[in-house]
Amino acid sequence: MLDAMLWWFTAPLEYTFMRRAVVACLALSLTAPVLGVLLTLRGMSLMGEALSHAILPGVAVAFMLAGFSLPAMMLGGVAAGFVTVAVAGGVTQFSGLKEDAAMASLFLVAMAGGVLIVTRSGNALDLGHVLFGTVLGVDNATLLLVALAGSLILAGLAIAFRALVMEALDPLFLSLQGRHAGWTHALFMMLVVLNLVVGFQTLGTLMAAGLMLLPAAAARYWSQRLEGMLAIAVGLSLVTSVMGLLVSYHAELPTGPSIVLLAGLGYGVSIVMGPCRGLLVRYRRPLRQEAMRERG
Amino acid sequence: MEAQHASRLRLHDLQLAQANRTVLEHVEGRFRDGAITALVGANGAGKSTLIQGIMGMLRPVRGRVECSVPKERRAWLPQQLALDLTFPMSVEELVMTGCWPSHGALTGYCARHYRRGREVMARLGISHLAHRPLGELSGGQRQRALIGRTLMQEAELLLLDEPFANVDVETVDVLMTVLRDMAATGVTIIVVLHDMEQLSRLADEVVVLNSGHAEWTSVESIARGQASVAGTARLSLGIPGVRAC
Repeated sequence: MLDAMLWWFTAPLEYTFMRRAVVACLALSLTAPVLGVLLTLRGMSLMGEALSHAILPGVAVAFMLAGFSLPAMMLGGVAAGFVTVAVAGGVTQFSGLKEDAAMASLFLVAMAGGVLIVTRSGNALDLGHVLFGTVLGVDNATLLLVALAGSLILAGLAIAFRALVMEALDPLFLSLQGRHAGWTHALFMMLVVLNLVVGFQTLGTLMAAGLMLLPAAAARYWSQRLEGMLAIAVGLSLVTSVMGLLVSYHAELPTGPSIVLLAGLGYGVSIVMGPCRGLLVRYRRPLRQEAMRERG
Repeated sequence: MEAQHASRLRLHDLQLAQANRTVLEHVEGRFRDGAITALVGANGAGKSTLIQGIMGMLRPVRGRVECSVPKERRAWLPQQLALDLTFPMSVEELVMTGCWPSHGALTGYCARHYRRGREVMARLGISHLAHRPLGELSGGQRQRALIGRTLMQEAELLLLDEPFANVDVETVDVLMTVLRDMAATGVTIIVVLHDMEQLSRLADEVVVLNSGHAEWTSVESIARGQASVAGTARLSLGIPGVRAC
């Protein structure tokens, strides 16, 4: 029994492509949930989701120019993400409307444009790879880029962490200090774009935000402290991404959806079992109070 | 008299507008260091606009705000704070964020900072709430924690917009004592008030906003109705015996 379990975990790792995929997932899991927690605390979860689709035109143009080269597609994605963030910010400042409205409009246009470019210059299989990810196709060059991007994101988070937390808690307090406010937001959005491009390798542009948002949303049900939420979100992401990979290998399922569905399962369990605002706790609390009243 | 009182905050022929509509104009005056100045006026008279102008959140149409207080020593407690009450942070952590502006992004806190944080919480009577999440605080407890943050910030200029609204009587007493102590150490405090009793207990000077203009007067003048603007001030404070024309 134990041998069978051990085999289930280790057998896939005999293949180089699986080892690379595991490393890519681990790198993503160290950064994505941290950004996800900050996104949810800022009430910007859907912005992260929209932004993940907005990188598609850059990926598509890189695909058109360089074929199915993951490093080129990553760079294209970063460029498209930065342009979208800048345009959304500009439209917001110019029109006075909220940033999410501008982002929602832009991502639809970007998504449609991206799909059009990929289908014109490739085939349905290529479109599938772009939309749903190709973590099993990660080569050494891509893995290095993923690691580099992950390190950059961690360094950026470490430097700006206090300002990012303060912007989420009380933006007015931060903007009164003047010097940080605009830069903090811009840096944060850039880190999110960078992370989504890393995520696009694993989960595709359709679900790149999956490991960012689902573990973060689940963590709110387990801790009322920021450090606790971050640790739980990263832990959940590490477990679900590696388990998702292994499940997809053994059951011959697509990797991206397997990982996201497992993260979704973690979110569902958290809603029910989580000690902070979880359904069971909410149900039990009135019962306990009633019992205490009867005893008293 | 002017020469005796230092002032880090002066307004020079200030004109402020919201959405291209002039709200205040020809505002000329200074806020005394170490004094608590009450800002009074009817709804829409421009109290919040003036505060935004002073804090640099609103660019003047004309004139200027001369403020020698560095940005990291300015604090503002708006009436409805954009504070996420579900944010995973404890009272102590919120109070400690007051260190951030002067402390920088990377430096950690040392024992001295934590000691000062505990002193601040003790002064505000919230030591027992140190580890409680923000979401579990009452309005008064939250207001005490936010004032604690400004104490940690060692604010030299403090602006408060109706700080005693929806706050229990005990908290009002504690906050008034703390604000008076802060003023005694030289902090310039500007506070929007609507309650005459609170105004007479707390304020040293009063600025009345009326018809787009600001006039500096004393608390006594408002109480006795002597100043030219006293009628307006008494009306906006809801003092009986004054009827709107």
